[in-house]
Amino acid sequence: MLILEAGPRVTRGEIVSRFRNSTRRSDLMSPYPSVPTAPHPIYQPTDSGYLVQAGPYPYPAEYIRQFGGTTWHWAAQAWRNVPNDFRLHSLYGVGVDWPISYDELEPYYQEAEEIMGVSGADNTGSPRKQPFPMEPVIEAYAMRRVRERLAPQYQVVSNTTARNSVSYGGRPACCGNNNCQPICPVDAQYHGGIAALQAEAAGVTIRVNANVYQLEHDAQGRIVAALYYDADKKSQRVTAKTFILAANGIESPRLLLLSASEKYPKGLANSSDMVGRHLMDHPSTSLTFDADEDLWLGRGPQSPSSIGTMRDGDFRGQHAAYRLDFTNISRVDGATRDLISRGVYGEEFERQLRFSSAREMSLKTVLEVLPDPENRITLSSEKDSMGIPKPQAHYSIGDYTRLGHERARQDFANVARLMGGTNLRPSKEGAYANNQHICGTLSMGRDPAASVCNEWGRAHDHANLFFCSTGVLPTCGTCNSTENGVALALRTVDHILAEQGIKPGTAAAAAGAPA
Amino acid sequence: MSARFAWRPLLLTVGLLLSSHGHAADVDAAAQIERGRYLATAGDCIACHTVAGGKPMAGGLAVDTPIGPIIASNITPSKSHGIGNYSLAQFSSAVRHGVRADGAHLYPAMPYTAYAKVTDEDMAAMYAWFMQGVAPVNAAPERSTRLPFPFNIRLSMLAWNWLFLDKEPFKGDPAKSVEWNRGAYLVQGLGHCGTCHTPRNALMGEQASKQLGGADLGTWSAPNITSDVNSGIGSWSREDLAAYLRTGRSAQHGQAAGPMAEAIDHSLRHLTPNDLDAIALYVKSVPALRDPNDSKPVTQWGQAGDRLAELRGVPLPKDLNRMSGAQLYDANCASCHQARGQGSFDGSLPPLFHNSTTGRSNTNNLVMAMLDGVRRQGAGVGSAGNTDGYLMPAFRQTLSSEQIVSLGNYVQQLYGNPAGKVTLEQVTILRQGGAPSDLIGLVRGSLIVAGLALLLAILWWRRRKED
Repeated sequence: MLILEAGPRVTRGEIVSRFRNSTRRSDLMSPYPSVPTAPHPIYQPTDSGYLVQAGPYPYPAEYIRQFGGTTWHWAAQAWRNVPNDFRLHSLYGVGVDWPISYDELEPYYQEAEEIMGVSGADNTGSPRKQPFPMEPVIEAYAMRRVRERLAPQYQVVSNTTARNSVSYGGRPACCGNNNCQPICPVDAQYHGGIAALQAEAAGVTIRVNANVYQLEHDAQGRIVAALYYDADKKSQRVTAKTFILAANGIESPRLLLLSASEKYPKGLANSSDMVGRHLMDHPSTSLTFDADEDLWLGRGPQSPSSIGTMRDGDFRGQHAAYRLDFTNISRVDGATRDLISRGVYGEEFERQLRFSSAREMSLKTVLEVLPDPENRITLSSEKDSMGIPKPQAHYSIGDYTRLGHERARQDFANVARLMGGTNLRPSKEGAYANNQHICGTLSMGRDPAASVCNEWGRAHDHANLFFCSTGVLPTCGTCNSTENGVALALRTVDHILAEQGIKPGTAAAAAGAPA
Repeated sequence: MSARFAWRPLLLTVGLLLSSHGHAADVDAAAQIERGRYLATAGDCIACHTVAGGKPMAGGLAVDTPIGPIIASNITPSKSHGIGNYSLAQFSSAVRHGVRADGAHLYPAMPYTAYAKVTDEDMAAMYAWFMQGVAPVNAAPERSTRLPFPFNIRLSMLAWNWLFLDKEPFKGDPAKSVEWNRGAYLVQGLGHCGTCHTPRNALMGEQASKQLGGADLGTWSAPNITSDVNSGIGSWSREDLAAYLRTGRSAQHGQAAGPMAEAIDHSLRHLTPNDLDAIALYVKSVPALRDPNDSKPVTQWGQAGDRLAELRGVPLPKDLNRMSGAQLYDANCASCHQARGQGSFDGSLPPLFHNSTTGRSNTNNLVMAMLDGVRRQGAGVGSAGNTDGYLMPAFRQTLSSEQIVSLGNYVQQLYGNPAGKVTLEQVTILRQGGAPSDLIGLVRGSLIVAGLALLLAILWWRRRKED
């Protein structure tokens, strides 16, 4: 087995080191500089222009092209869908149904959770057959106060996260550095870098600085080779029997489109013209205010609790479902910047910084988006630093999502009232922050005319090409896309192994699930 | 597992007490079994005779020794694969004198030179527990011991025993208190502390004159635990020492890792407060031995500090092997041990100064902690109730040997005994599992010398005859 990684090899230590040395602590990309041989989007201090924006609404996706990928800087949110997410069209007449049910995916959710070391509340609307492998990390003080004060109107639950509350899989427990993003400094969080090391330990070869720019096919449409540029921009070619494309929801469709040929003029896996379409994420609106008691956000993990009551319901026929997520990120950095920018200094600075750090709190919506063929990734006419056409995003915020936000404003008001909130600062109307939950661009489905791959992640057009990516998700629901992507990938791998006569269920063992 | 085992004899005892037909003899028998379990815990039999997640006492663990791995045997009461057919005398002979029921000699990886101190009464109690309190496992360990010549000849141990085995059971010192004698009995006997902490001679015999003076175990180092104020535990209070033996850490002195962490998890933390107090009392009376490098107590070196000023705003070197100690500390250590090495407020994330791991001139344990982390029972979750976990993660996979050298020296200089140096050769050897032993060569060499001497003697004798 060979894994081709576009970016360089990195270790946690150097990322932590860069983070601690950065003056932009809140810029999640600051410890992950883009490299010329495998560029990725950078927006601060200025937009590098790698992901070209075609509008009408900007889609400034962030991701990392490095050994281990983007989960180096996730908040470890490892949610399952709720069962009705799989039947959105049948139940509510919007979006599409998944080609599989919750029950079919359930064992793979469990497998993913055991590999990653996931914990969470049992009452989040996602039924489970086996317990989580561990208890959640101890509830942060601020989250306890929020939970207590919002009850009984709102049930605040522990988020489902791949974060160790005790040592698991050889990794230590969370010790509360509160910088899960941009980097968990002790590997209490699971991330792709750990998965990559586990793959190497299991005998897989990982070739870094191998920026794949084309897949080759034969006359029958089988994929025969991957062409990549090495660090010296020399073209290399590797052949294989089975190809798995696992380059996220933007770079994967980009590569398929780049691989257009005489036989496949629209690109590989694209006879349906569905590659890159149905781009989805989770737009967020937010409310920040000062509570009437000291909460001191910043103790424990960054994103430990949320409200899930609006994740499902008949309202989904009319407007987006959503989760309400409470941040527990220390306010010190943000408040400091704000005060300095307003020219506050001296004793007043200290007084206000103390007040904001203790009292300020914030919650945001994680809004559902419907699959829309016009929201899509295409190839730009611009070239990147390797001379390869850049990806281009076409994106908009639909009425369905906007109406979800309208509904959520009631919740914002209620939460602020229950917390004795003053100085309410809602996000600007019409502005939606992005959550980097890139999905939909390789969507799976039963109808080859309306999807890119089948329920096993196999390209409808190419028998030996599979996708392991959040790109395969047909709809985005209200939960971070990672665990759905991992569970579907495990299901795909079981299917590939079964075809080769290898017993299903061994993928976890190969991935190094703790025994 | 141990908790469950603890309950079983207790329930048995309670059941017998409640029974109207209960006989005093039955109660005594149950009490003896329970006492045997306790003594076997004090002897830490499980450490070697049980593999992680395996059936208790079924053997199979490879004990690395200078002459090769020795595989612990099945000592469950299985009649086919264990010691089920052993009489008390045979059991005693194996435990105390290193001789199996079939007459073959055990290798001294089994600490029978220490167990030789165990009294007849305690032997009988352990025998009762092994026979009645341990579940028989009718299977042999997957591997068996295969040592190189001449050690594959078990009879070679006869000569070793003649040199190093004192078959005399423990005799108390009537001039000392009952408590002191209890401590001495446990430390010298079942506790077999000297097995690791007493240095050995070239033939691997413990050097009686350097009792508990500290020894390198190949990778981890067993520190000096004599009563010396600087090199040993002389500066520890008895209460601190007993608490350390129960928890594996002492906020003022340091923390257990490696084999000591295992000894605490498997054995010491299960002992009664009285026994731990007795052990502490005795250890504090062991004649002081001092390493001349230890000019002050090993728990008194260093102080809080940082060199953040020299690394902020400075980009990382292109070759990460050239990262400075301060950069490596910032990247890998500061998240838990904090920016100034002070650890957490309650010491659960330990300070790096005033810490016996950094206070010694021998830096093997510092390097081993970086390579393999600090692993303790109860720190984690796994399948089948396994609670092993890492209090400190292992950096073997993520830090290069060069980085460990820079980081180790930075930690020693800033927080520890600056006489303690970390070298590339040392890290390379420790990473590979320790220095290869010259014992095999030594013994083979001795045999060749002995053979040559014999040959010369024969030739000389023949020539004389011919003359």
